[in-house]
Amino acid sequence: MTVKIERGQIVTVERGQRAARRIPGLGLLDGMAVVWKHWAGSFRKNQGFNDIHGVFTFEYPEERPKLPEAYRNMPILLYDEETGHELCTSCFQCERICPPQVIHMTQARDPATGKPVPAVAEFVIEYDACMSCGFCAEVCPFDAIKMDHEFELSTAEHRGLTVFKEQLNRPISYYERIAPTMWAEVREGAMKKLQGNIKRRPDVIGMAPNLAEKIAARRRELEAATAAPEAPAAAPAEGRKLTPEEKAAKLAAIKAANAAKKGGSTVEPAAPPTEAAPADEKAARLAAIRAKNAARQAGEAIAAAPAPEAAPADEKAARLAAIRAKNAAKKGAEGAPAPEAAAEHPPAAGTAAPAGEAATVAGAAPADEKAARLAAIRAKNAAKKAAEGHDAEGS
Amino acid sequence: MFKTEELQINIGPQHPSTHGVFRMLVTVDGETIIDLKPVFGYLHRNHEQIAEQNTYLQNMPYTDRLDYFNSMANNQAYAMAVEKLAGIEVPERAEYIRVLMVELTRILNHAGALGFLINDMGMWQTQLAFGMREREKILDLFEMASGARMMCNYFRFGGVVRDLPPEFMPKLKELLVAMPAFVDELERLLRENEILMQRAEGIGVLPRELALAYSVTGPVLRGSGVPYDIRKAEPYSVYDRFDFDIPVGSVGDVYDRFLVRIEEMRQSKRIIEQIVEQLPDARGGHINPKARQNVRPPVGDAYARIESPKGELGFYLVSDGSPRPYRYKVRAPSFINLTPLGDMCRGYKVADVVVILGSIDIVMGEVDR
Amino acid sequence: MPRLSPEELRERMARDLPGTVLEPTPLRVTPPPAHGPQPAPFVTTDTVVAAEQLVQAALYLRDTLGYAFLSDIAVVDYLADGVFELVYRFYTIEGGDGLVLKVRVPREAPEAPSLTPYWPGANLHEREAFDLFGIIFTDHPFLRRIYMWDEFEGWPMRKDFPKQGDKYIGADE
Repeated sequence: MTVKIERGQIVTVERGQRAARRIPGLGLLDGMAVVWKHWAGSFRKNQGFNDIHGVFTFEYPEERPKLPEAYRNMPILLYDEETGHELCTSCFQCERICPPQVIHMTQARDPATGKPVPAVAEFVIEYDACMSCGFCAEVCPFDAIKMDHEFELSTAEHRGLTVFKEQLNRPISYYERIAPTMWAEVREGAMKKLQGNIKRRPDVIGMAPNLAEKIAARRRELEAATAAPEAPAAAPAEGRKLTPEEKAAKLAAIKAANAAKKGGSTVEPAAPPTEAAPADEKAARLAAIRAKNAARQAGEAIAAAPAPEAAPADEKAARLAAIRAKNAAKKGAEGAPAPEAAAEHPPAAGTAAPAGEAATVAGAAPADEKAARLAAIRAKNAAKKAAEGHDAEGS
Repeated sequence: MFKTEELQINIGPQHPSTHGVFRMLVTVDGETIIDLKPVFGYLHRNHEQIAEQNTYLQNMPYTDRLDYFNSMANNQAYAMAVEKLAGIEVPERAEYIRVLMVELTRILNHAGALGFLINDMGMWQTQLAFGMREREKILDLFEMASGARMMCNYFRFGGVVRDLPPEFMPKLKELLVAMPAFVDELERLLRENEILMQRAEGIGVLPRELALAYSVTGPVLRGSGVPYDIRKAEPYSVYDRFDFDIPVGSVGDVYDRFLVRIEEMRQSKRIIEQIVEQLPDARGGHINPKARQNVRPPVGDAYARIESPKGELGFYLVSDGSPRPYRYKVRAPSFINLTPLGDMCRGYKVADVVVILGSIDIVMGEVDR
Repeated sequence: MPRLSPEELRERMARDLPGTVLEPTPLRVTPPPAHGPQPAPFVTTDTVVAAEQLVQAALYLRDTLGYAFLSDIAVVDYLADGVFELVYRFYTIEGGDGLVLKVRVPREAPEAPSLTPYWPGANLHEREAFDLFGIIFTDHPFLRRIYMWDEFEGWPMRKDFPKQGDKYIGADE
């Protein structure tokens, strides 16, 4: 019996034996035939998904089926073998999302300053309570935590299932082997972020503890850098140390620019240019020109530098720095027409000038780029100071 | 005449036919059941209370553990409830993938459930092994897509966690080639088997009116002759785009439930074939890119229900505007389908109890929550 | 039979069963914060009926409107408002969206009439509500704990149930 409904019908299932074969015991024999067919099939191997006969089982553990890439069992932490650095920055995203709350971590701190460093000091996962949901790997912005394919975790020691960083650490090559396409998707971004984080890690913080040689090498490198502050050796070390400062300077520059803009827009209509203003303007302009020149010179020095591969990129960077310096100076000049700011200007210009000179003096190409940036930053700082003076007057 | 006395016995909580830790307090007169009271709570873990301490997303893997046979279906019901509450759109392709997964779940659930039913009747392992074999293939597909065989945790608000891998579709098509042969063989193995018919025909009858009054759902309700399938009655997701039939029984006994499940597997296969056809044209990605996973729905309530392989699975959520649900209630089909167990068993023999229980198809993870 | 929207249901019930439908008072859900923006109260669009008239209203849904399928009974503990809300969900077997009846009972005396004599399927729902929230369903034939053991004290799903440090779980866990 069937009833038509929308996109289908209601079918009453047919019960009992079909009329044509009401011989007692035939249904039983028919079923037995199926079983015998399967028995006969059990002498050969199953042919795949479209075959319902044959032996399906695997001779585990000798024979192991290939696990799909997406397979997830327990979380692991990745480190980069080349640099020896762990990808984890202890951002606490995984700790927060973990549904059974089994991830615990502490952030590394700089022993000198006590400030937090983007690296993890200790990382603990309670494997015994982990529910293998994979949320930690999903939320990790640095692709530091991934799901392992290892499933033979049985142990006689329950305590061994609280797993610390040393046991969690796996090289990237391991993950690349078990999940090649999934890693290829995220590789570029992850490595880029790692490079950024390495710059912010002092000493050997954030290096995988099992890589003793890497750590020793890094230590030696650091010692050499601090022991011999010669110009060629010091330049890269200095550059490394500068990065947080650079960031701060950039931030300051942006703030200064904004402040200057604000100050300029509020004060200018209120107070028309006084006699002192042209002088100030002049000083600011001078600073801008000097910064520009310094940047340009730096750019020329790089263009002439012997390193052919690095040259175009460096040139670009230097030009960018020059443009930034120019703009910063210009902004400073715009926000300048306050009488008090005048006092600030000569030293500002003064700092910009030696920076420019330093840029021209430095010989090595990578150092040049840095020097140019430095010049730009100094110019920005000068502009900022000018703006600050102006802001103080305006408010 | 001998004087007989009523006797109270416990079937379970540790009993091979109770599908988990479940106890039936049975009053018998000789071999005949006079009364049966189900006793629950051995697997109770206050799932709802745990869920109210978690954020919305954190509950997703917990729903896997409700009915651990059908984690995909649980995921869908929960995702739908949150999407309704927070107003999240789901792209077309994601809906197709979801329906595909849930229909595969239905096949594997019925393959397993029939196996366990026959197992309870005493046909030790044969049918179960055949069913498990098909289930393994589907679990392989789940593993490919979601990363886990049973606790899939595949759905996210606004879609699914990742798109189907390239090797998924060829494997699925291979599986579909073998599926009719499997279902036919399963039917041939037992449908006309005299022993099965003796054990199943006229046993555990649940009449139509009683089935409705008892609010049972799923194959139990349809076995009693009520053509109520939420996929047709209140089409959710993209179910209104597929042609499929609703198999119903006529008597409401164990045999009808058995036959309805076999037929449902065929219908699920029909739906999957239509999905394979329509999926390449589906618009959108596997997830709504605008959907945020750490949702904070506005104050309000929402109820979403799906036709899970075991019946109506619903999630009732109340939001107070915070990232955690204020109230999280599961309407579990296995639990409600156990309500009429006493009435279904009354008057039958002790040996029939295990068969009737097997025909309801319960999972204790969902009953006790 | 035509399917009804919640508004239509309220209209029809106000006409056929006067005095049953209550005006849904807004719920605060959470205690209002001392400062900052006040969250919007929760005003339900569903039908709120008086607890005494619940059976009457449910039978009206079943017999007059054809919503015979009682799908779910949920309890929500609105601690800040001092009420338990019982959410009854009815469907028709013809299909379509369901209708919801909500009953509010005070937290101090949570009593509601049982639907089990009319819908045997309400049995386990109500036992669960009793077990986890302590709602007393009068006329229920077997109102016993269902998940927790019989000697258990307290109602574990209530919002004021201690999350830790009760007599069963030590404070250090």
